[in-house]
Amino acid sequence: MLTRRLIACLDVRAGRVVKGVQFVGLRDVGDPVELAMRYEAEGADEIVYLDISASAEERATLLDLARRTAEHLFIPLTIGGGIRTVDDVAAALRAGADKVGLNSAAVRRPEVLNEGADRFGAQCIVASIDAKWDDGRFRVYTHGGQTPTELEAVAWAAECAQRGAGEILLTSIDRDGARDGYDLALTRAVADAVPVPVIASGGAGSAAHVCAALTTGKADAALVAGILHDNVMTVAALKQAMRAAGLAVREAA
Amino acid sequence: MITVFDYGAGNLHSLVKVLTGTGRRVALETDLRRAVHTELLVLPGVGAFAPAAARMAAGRATARDALRDGLPCLGICLGQQLLFDGSDEGPGEGLGLLSGRVTRLQATRVPHIGWNSLDDATDSRFGPAALHTAYYANSFVCRPADPSVVVAWSTHESDRFAAAVRTARTLGVQFHPEKSSAPGVQFIRQFLDDVLPR
Repeated sequence: MLTRRLIACLDVRAGRVVKGVQFVGLRDVGDPVELAMRYEAEGADEIVYLDISASAEERATLLDLARRTAEHLFIPLTIGGGIRTVDDVAAALRAGADKVGLNSAAVRRPEVLNEGADRFGAQCIVASIDAKWDDGRFRVYTHGGQTPTELEAVAWAAECAQRGAGEILLTSIDRDGARDGYDLALTRAVADAVPVPVIASGGAGSAAHVCAALTTGKADAALVAGILHDNVMTVAALKQAMRAAGLAVREAA
Repeated sequence: MITVFDYGAGNLHSLVKVLTGTGRRVALETDLRRAVHTELLVLPGVGAFAPAAARMAAGRATARDALRDGLPCLGICLGQQLLFDGSDEGPGEGLGLLSGRVTRLQATRVPHIGWNSLDDATDSRFGPAALHTAYYANSFVCRPADPSVVVAWSTHESDRFAAAVRTARTLGVQFHPEKSSAPGVQFIRQFLDDVLPR
């Protein structure tokens, strides 16, 4: 039986893990490889690096980081942030990523999803969608949640999957960092509309929130970040709670 | 020496790291005809069937004969699929070492991405005391004409498929052992110890 996944997300900038609120007051909290390895040892099912570098110079370190990580991490690694073209996808995969997240670039030019899936297979193309409740609908935003688009999130998710995205990484801008639970209505609406796995993101504050995303929200996987890095919860405790809620969970070695 | 057939797609770092971690020499080879001059051939597993089959075409007969004659081989994901005749994913011929086709998973959610259990194993490398849950990222699966080559099964929704197949000294796995954490790494090391003289 396919188990439900718990995915640990690290914000990286210039090759280091950073932490801040709404991109403000960023501070260095460590080496991504060390943290990723720790989460693997605790039972995380996957790792996501979200590159929030502000410049090309900072971003240039990402491929080197992917390389270092792939040599030490033996669970899947997804890299998102700043990936623009199918050649960027190729470079990230070649460097050591198993999957690549496309967000603003897919909105600007949706064909990049088709091109990536045709060349590398749908299983490594993740459509990353940031959505916010706005005027009675879920509106898609790009550029780190700063730029509104005319796209509606559920329809856009369906288009992404139809074009070849193998997963949808769905982040609620409203809930991101608030720790009051995932946006279950958004998550469920997208999970019902697409034939590919959905990763719920944004809002995890407790184990109950994670379980709700995977049951009521119908997500295949839940992404957590802040509550791990701030030691509010551990990966092991979250997975234990998932198990207690009756969800199929991988037993870590 | 271990040779990884490099058909130009995807991440080989983790796999190569596991292989070199056993103290053996590992070479990447883009020409399949040359790749078979080795003690163990690894067919890695990222990419789409058609471009991989095209890269394999010139060395297809050589490789099939070498594997039939007992060259040890580990096929991972797409690498397992390439052991068969062909695939519904795209045109091109597989090695034809095993008869059967590769077809799309019959399920509502495809790709099949995540950790799935390995069931009904008839090979001691899999099971409760060995590798029992592995990471998958696939839309297509192998349908062997002869089910007796299957040594472990997995099920996605209601579609039961070959998690691992074995013939001669070739082992094909649909999952990614190099992404299946410590038990997956241990599985690869065990396979190398089983097929390679020290």
